[in-house]
This record gives sequence, structure tokens and C-alpha cells, in this order.
Amino acid sequence: MPSPATPPPAVPTGPVPPVPVVPVHASAIDPEGLAFRGVSGRLATLRLIERGLGGLVLFVISALPLVLGLAGAWDGYPAWLAWALPAAVLAVVLWVLALVPRQVRAIGYAERNDDLLLRHGILFHRVMVVPYGRMQYVDVTMGPLERALGLSSVHLHTASPGTNAVLFGVPATEAARLREQLSARGEAKLAGL
Amino acid sequence: MSDPYPGTTFHTDSPDTWHRVHPVSPLVRGWVAVAAVLFIFGRNALDSLFTGRPGAGGPSAGAPPAVIAVVVGAAVVVFGAGFFLSWRFTRYQVTDDHVHINSGVIFRQQRRARIDRVQSIDVVQPLVARAFGLAELKFDVADGGRSAFRLSFLKLDEAKRLRAAILARAAGVAVDPGEPGQVAEAPEQHVLALGPGRIIGATVFSSLSIVTLAVLGAAIALAAWSGEPGVFIGSIPIFLGFGASYWKAITGDYNFRVALSPDGVRLHYGMLETRAQTIPPGRVQAVGISQGPVWRPFGWYRVHVNVAGYGDDRSDHGNRTVLLPAGTIDEVMAVLSLVFPDPGVDNPFEVFAAGLRGPGNRHGFVHSPPSARWIDPFAWRYNAYRATSTALLCRHGVIFRRLEVVPHERTQSLSLRQGPLMAALGLVDFELHSTVGPIKPLVHHVALDAGRRLFDEQAARAATARRIHSAEHWLAPPPPPAGPPPPVESESVETPAPSSAPPHAQENLHGH
Repeated sequence: MPSPATPPPAVPTGPVPPVPVVPVHASAIDPEGLAFRGVSGRLATLRLIERGLGGLVLFVISALPLVLGLAGAWDGYPAWLAWALPAAVLAVVLWVLALVPRQVRAIGYAERNDDLLLRHGILFHRVMVVPYGRMQYVDVTMGPLERALGLSSVHLHTASPGTNAVLFGVPATEAARLREQLSARGEAKLAGL
Repeated sequence: MSDPYPGTTFHTDSPDTWHRVHPVSPLVRGWVAVAAVLFIFGRNALDSLFTGRPGAGGPSAGAPPAVIAVVVGAAVVVFGAGFFLSWRFTRYQVTDDHVHINSGVIFRQQRRARIDRVQSIDVVQPLVARAFGLAELKFDVADGGRSAFRLSFLKLDEAKRLRAAILARAAGVAVDPGEPGQVAEAPEQHVLALGPGRIIGATVFSSLSIVTLAVLGAAIALAAWSGEPGVFIGSIPIFLGFGASYWKAITGDYNFRVALSPDGVRLHYGMLETRAQTIPPGRVQAVGISQGPVWRPFGWYRVHVNVAGYGDDRSDHGNRTVLLPAGTIDEVMAVLSLVFPDPGVDNPFEVFAAGLRGPGNRHGFVHSPPSARWIDPFAWRYNAYRATSTALLCRHGVIFRRLEVVPHERTQSLSLRQGPLMAALGLVDFELHSTVGPIKPLVHHVALDAGRRLFDEQAARAATARRIHSAEHWLAPPPPPAGPPPPVESESVETPAPSSAPPHAQENLHGH
């Protein structure tokens, strides 16, 4: 019931995790004695592309007055603002891009007996526990860019809208395994509402 | 309405038996359109009848009586045909496991709900329906309040019988093998009633009045300052709006009564449109008790609940999630003991009173550490939590005080959050996710160690509680409204049956 899509023919359901366990960025609120499994490093590539493109668009828009001013088409615009605006945008975009690899390393999940733990964030940490018995369904989605990189997003839904549990950048095979695993455990421990 | 339950029985339907709603129902639903048409034509007809000359301006002005008769006749036929078809195409059926409702003439709709997923049932009587002795039966499934199943309209007795049948099936009442189709109705036991004085008082002394007074003061000040009385007159529509809010608040909650039946907690309220709302036990996901500054001298509290079927409750005047519109602390405790029979502590009154009043660490509450003063200079000793053996209690706020209670087995998921400022002060926010509703439980600014411990322990407690309370069917002996009630569902401990199993299996488990 929890998985809406039909499983692919060969699903690695064995206990051996197909992803290497990446040491994730530790924070003060992580539960002790628990090894979180990191998501794929290709998520960093994905986010760099996505955010880089977005940043490029922003930068081009903010540089428009400067180009127009240099071309002599827009004289009334103050020169210092024409230089400062794109510089500031560029600085912010570069800062955001520089954070991406650390942010990706900070995403982690751990399967326990009764529940799944998710963590993310460096400056703003969040640790969430989602009991298997509370999962209503599991979504595995894949965008075009994700497909090219072999990644999937796994979204866990409970009856609460507050459960905003998404795992981005899970390798496709691992996502399939996770979905089957979560479905099976959810089935075994389903507890209504 | 005031008559007690008739001791009748209800037969559930076989797959081929269908019922229709009461034939008057489309008229009751569409009476506004009919009244408007009657008014327009009636006025013109009367005009020409009494003055003896054509009325001015109307579309049918000066029409001979024959034309009027034809127009009225056509209207009767059109409305009549529409009503007849709408009635004819609406059918329902209550079987042992499902409720089916088919409706719609052009766009057909066939809905089917599993009875054991019903979250709550209302019997609503709008004013016109009351005149005909009819009622609407409305029940929710757990979809966050997006769609309710409605049967409008039925005879009141029929609606009550259906309600009893659906609730009994949902509760997993053991079916009598000799009479498999029969369900006895559940008697009601009066718990408390709020007098008109309380409802009016609670409305008058509310935050709404503060806003009204502020606007009034501003209008007077503005008028005096500008010397133009027109300013004051111009603000009259605003006050009409306030008046409408008062009217709605008072008539909506008027005659509020709480009763207990084996089906669940039953709330009756409303002056013009009356509503009898049933919340089965075990369907309450979270309880919130709140008090604003104006109510503090009176000692009144408002009690809200999260029920999966109600959602955010923006339709239906927003008072379906209200379990008690304004009650003293004793009344709050009485109502709490109904929806939450086992508080998990020996001295529930003291603990809940500490949870409502604060501040400090009395009765097992743990408030924020002193470092939280930098973020919450006033509220840090009020923001606190306490975990009992059955629920988590979260206390908040100095001016607007709230206590949120979430039973462990109703916990959906948990999270810990920490921003940079909180990290520097060694604090953490603990968030508990409940179903859609007015209550969003959160413990602000817990000390880091305490928060981490709470997170781990709460996850374990929720897992244990889920194992114990895994059955969908709640059937349990009704707890007495006064005194320590027995813990619910102690009989279903042994088997955490998957809910995909047919309901009969679990019914037998609960057999009495």
C-alpha cells in the first residue's frame, strides 16, 4: 500500500547497503551511537547545476543596468549601484554554491528497528524521526536532471503535514531498496492513525 | 430533540438494498431559490391585484393573470422536476463494512467509505430542516477535512439510527450471531452544559471585544480630532461586521452540551442551526487548552481537538474542532477525562492545573533553562513539557497560555530543530507532528541534553504505545465521567493485528 509505483523486477532487498556509508557532518543534536548513512555525492553536482543556473539568471538580471549604462543607453542610473548590485549578487551566489557540498554531506538517514531517522542542515540543524507504522505512503520521484545523474528523491508521508520528510539525492537502486524496505516495515507495523 | 433515544434497532443493508433520502430534502436545500422566485412574482402579482393597474418597472408588469399563472406553473414544473430528479438519483446504503452514497443527475458520483475508517459523525439540523423534522448526517474520513460524506436530509430518528449503526460498526461491536443485522442504540449520559450567560460572557469578554473597543476608540478619536462626525458614521459598516461576528459566536455555541455515549463524546450546540457532533474515543489526535488574558480573571479555558477528519476546519464556522468553548478548570478536566481517559499520572488535576497555570518546574514540568532568557525574557519559565506514561504535555506562553496534550500512540513523527542562536545558547526546539488541525504541538527552547533525551524517549514511548493501541476499533467500556477511568483497550494488547485484516477478525477479538 505505501508505494504507489510497481517495483522494478530486480530489487536489492538484502541487508547489504549498496551505498558506501559516508561520514556525515556531526551536530550537537544527533542521537548518540547511531551511524547515519549519507546520500550520494552526485547530489552536490545536481545542486551545483541547479543553483548555478538560477544564480546565473539572477546575476544576468542584476548586471543589466551596468551593461546598459556602459553601452550609454541608460545614463541616469548611479554608477556605484550599477557595479555594486551584480557584485553583491555574485558574492551571494558563490557563497551559496560554496555551501552546497557541505550541505549535501550533512544530509543523512538511519534505519532503526521502529523508525527512520533523517537529519540535515549545518547552521540550522534538524533531526526527524518517522515511525514506520505511521507512514501512509512513500513517493520516489526522479526529475530529468536526477535521471541523468542516476538519483531519486524519496518522500515519506504520514497523516501529518508537519512531517516534511524528503531525502534528496538517493541513488536509484538504493531508493528502490529503501522504498521496498519502508513499505515492508510499514506493512508490518501499520498502526492506523 | 429533547426526547431520549428511542430504543429501536437498525438493520444494516444487503448489497442490493438501497435507500433514498427524504423527498422534501431538495426543497430544504434549495428553498432560497424558491423563495426568491416566489417573492419576485408574488410581489408583482400582488401589486397588480391590489392597485388594479400595472405595477411599474417589473418585467412582468401589467401581465394578465393567465400569463402569471403560466409563468408560475412553469416555475413549479422546472423546480419540481429538478428536485424530483435530484431526489431520485440520490441513494445510500449502509452495509456491514461500507457506506455507499450515489448522487448527481448529470455528473454522477458514487462514494464508498470503509466504516472502520470513519473519524467522526455529525447530525446537523439547519433552521429550515428543523421545521420539517429533518437532519443531515455528515461523517468524516481521515483525509484532513477535504471531503465529508453528507446525507441530506433524513428524518431525525433515521439519522440517529444510522449514526448509531455506523459508529457501532466502526467500534467493532461484536455482532450478535442470532441477529447479525441488528445494532442497539447507545444511550447518552449527560456530562455538562454551558448556560447562555457563559456563552454570552465568553464572547463579550474575548479578544474580539478588545479589537472592537480599539477600533471604536480610534473612530471616536479620529472624529473628535477632525471635527467631522462623518468619519464616525463611515466606520459603521466595520461595527456591523463586528456585530455579525458576535452574533455568529453566540448563536454557534449557544446551548452547548457535552454528553457521553459508548459511541464517543457527543457535543450538542447551536441556536438556529443545531448540531450533534460525535467524536469516537481514540479518534482524538491531540487536545489543546488555551486561555487569553481577558479570560484569566474568570478562569475560563477553551478546549480544541485535532481529529483527522476535521482538518483545519475552515468550513462550518470553524467551531467543529472546539470541544469546550469556555469552561472552568473543573469542566475542562471533566471533558479531558472523556477524550483522554487515562492521563497517566496519579494526580491529574494538579498536573494539568500546573500545565495550565505555570510557571516553574512544579509537578514534573521541565521548563527552559535560564539561557533561554535571551530569547524568551518573559516566557522561559512558562515554556515547559512533561511526559506522563500516556501523553506528552506541552505548556506555552505568558499572556496567551496554552497546554497541548498528545497521547503517545497518536504521535505521527518527531523532530528536533536548532538554529545558530539556539546552538550558541544550548537550546533546541522539540516538535511533535499531529494530524491536520488547530493544534501544532511544539516545545520551545528545551535545554540541549533534555531535548535530546526527550527525543529519544518520546520515540521509544510512541513505539511502545503504538504496539499496545494498534487496533483501529476502539470498543471499550465507557469510562465513568467522574473518578479515575479505566485504561482503554487493555484487551487488545496481545495482537497488533494489521489493519488490512477484515474488520470481523478484530470484532471477534473485542467480543463481549
